[in-house]
Amino acid sequence: MRPQNLLELPGQKCTVGCPLLDALLGGGLPCGSVTEIAGEAGAGKTQLCLQLALCAALPPSHGGLSAASLYIHTEFPFPLPRLRRLALLFPAPAASPSSSSLDHVLVRGVHTAEELLAVLDRLGSVLQRPPSGLPVKLVVVDSIAAIFRSDFDNNAADLRRRSSLFFAIAGRLKEQAARFGHSVVVTNQVVDVVGSDASSSVRVGNYESLWSSGRRVCPALGLSWANCVNSRVFLSRFEERAAKDMDQEEGSCVGAEFGKTRRRMQVVFAPHLPESSCEFVILKRGVLGIQDQGRQEQQASPTSSRRHSWLNKIAKRLPISAGIDASCSLPVAVEATLG
Amino acid sequence: MEISNLPISPSHRGKLLAAGYTTLASLSSISPVQLAQELNIALQEAYDILKVTSESRNFESCNEGLGEGASLFSHSRAKTAWDMLSEERSLRHITTGSQKFDAILGGGIHCSEVTEIGGAPGIGKTQLGIQLAVNVQIPVDYGGLGGKAVYIDTEGSFMVERAYQIAEACISNTLDKFNFQGMDMRACQEKMQLNNFLSNIFYFRICSYTEQIAVINYLEKFLEEQKNVKIIIIDSITFHFRQDFDDLALRTRVLSGISLKLMKLAKKYCLSVSVLLFNQVTTKFTEGSFQLTLALGDSWSHACTNRIILYWNGDERHAYIDKSPSLPSAAAPFSVTCEGIRDALPQYKRARTT
Repeated sequence: MRPQNLLELPGQKCTVGCPLLDALLGGGLPCGSVTEIAGEAGAGKTQLCLQLALCAALPPSHGGLSAASLYIHTEFPFPLPRLRRLALLFPAPAASPSSSSLDHVLVRGVHTAEELLAVLDRLGSVLQRPPSGLPVKLVVVDSIAAIFRSDFDNNAADLRRRSSLFFAIAGRLKEQAARFGHSVVVTNQVVDVVGSDASSSVRVGNYESLWSSGRRVCPALGLSWANCVNSRVFLSRFEERAAKDMDQEEGSCVGAEFGKTRRRMQVVFAPHLPESSCEFVILKRGVLGIQDQGRQEQQASPTSSRRHSWLNKIAKRLPISAGIDASCSLPVAVEATLG
Repeated sequence: MEISNLPISPSHRGKLLAAGYTTLASLSSISPVQLAQELNIALQEAYDILKVTSESRNFESCNEGLGEGASLFSHSRAKTAWDMLSEERSLRHITTGSQKFDAILGGGIHCSEVTEIGGAPGIGKTQLGIQLAVNVQIPVDYGGLGGKAVYIDTEGSFMVERAYQIAEACISNTLDKFNFQGMDMRACQEKMQLNNFLSNIFYFRICSYTEQIAVINYLEKFLEEQKNVKIIIIDSITFHFRQDFDDLALRTRVLSGISLKLMKLAKKYCLSVSVLLFNQVTTKFTEGSFQLTLALGDSWSHACTNRIILYWNGDERHAYIDKSPSLPSAAAPFSVTCEGIRDALPQYKRARTT
């Protein structure tokens, strides 16, 4: 048993497909560690994960890992149409030009925690002999919460069984991530925080409270699961419609393309990242960060003037008319429009 | 046994004899500080002399003891409280980077003791670990220990890029501090190379509890090879013991075995190893309600000499001394900045974004 040399440890990162979000995450998702993406339904968790799965196949010059990804989904059906639409934006991997980018996304559905554990136990052989020819460098579990929310009662015995399963699953994920050097992403749902009893809830991470759709929420599965992940990223959404009644005539210039949902990505905790956040939008071309100009503004009460300058800013940067060049990889497309 | 037969350097032998010490017994009741003053030598040298002396005396008394019917104290020499006090006073501390945090710890993390640090995810346990692994390496000339660190990572949270950042900030801070005092910049820079800082952290990535037990058993041998290790950081002791362990009594036995081993290492490499364990928090079911506590149960809470709990107080991180044989309970604020652990100053308060 010898200590590892820190200077020789690979510090690879996998791009999330947008330079701004990459900057927020310190260059992308780190390999060899478990990142949790938490958010309410419709916050963009799955979209981000699908994009990630495709980004992993990009060559390292574009921030990818030139590798295949394994997508373990627990919510049925698998969002194949969304993946196919996104895949049009991605070129075939340079390592095997004859294949399509979809060939390198391996998909597996699981229904229960025990099944997930069994899949993870057999993962080693898949990782050693990757079926698509490219090594697997990204494992996505979407979502971890779904399999735990149905099978367990809210009594002490079931909670104990549940948390020992958390640790078993997290232990496997981390062990394989350390051994094979891939990046692990798990998604998590959120639960509402009821009441304001400070003693019952422990503050986890940089934020006193997390808000989404105007409700106070916290990532599901509780404190023991929070101990199982290395980094936690929170996606929140906020419906602009709430404020629309006040200034309906001004609201008319809002482009239909963008919808009326504002979204934000927040770093809740990560060993390598400071507290930071970034606003993002979900477009046909993927999940994209937008320059944060209203850092001080309260999400719950955006003034109309700020909102307009914000919308104009995206409209300028990301012209809707710009055609999507299927032969051009996403980061390049984004860089071009940013430039 | 005579002083003249001791395996020490001739100059020290000469000084000892000149000062009137001729037998091992005459050195038995003197403290290192006294000896250093009397012989006009460095404290560390005095330590080394006394260590050699006590070893050979133990050897001697062992041999005698066998003849006379072994005494319980034959192997480990009984120490007076005065010796222990002077030893404790001369112990060095590893700074945490935050002066207020250091103040409640009595100068920093103690050497030759086992310290447990607990807190919720994201409070800064790993940050503190990386910071200490870097700070322990500040050269002796610049107020540090000039040691090396062993980092046992069970969770995969150690980030090399973060260690780089913290080491870089530590180097530039030390340079700034000593530049004022007119120290030779070049010599300082030569001593503090960024890459050396990283290669002096011996990093073990542990993926199961069997590996964890194995590496802790291996540490003894490793510390013998690597003389200058001054801190062992285990981040965290908990993780692998919260999975696959149905037999809680067995878990308790294994864990107390680990903690005994660590305490032994900390004492054996006296003045040279301080052990940090990171513990996770969990909720405990008592009298119908869930309470927050550190993981691994009550019996584990007896296992560590010191216990520090990190928690949020409003928007400020605080450290609290929960258990210590020598320090009063106290809390101090600290903050995690891009440079590492620092004092919680008003200007570090960041604008809230949500």
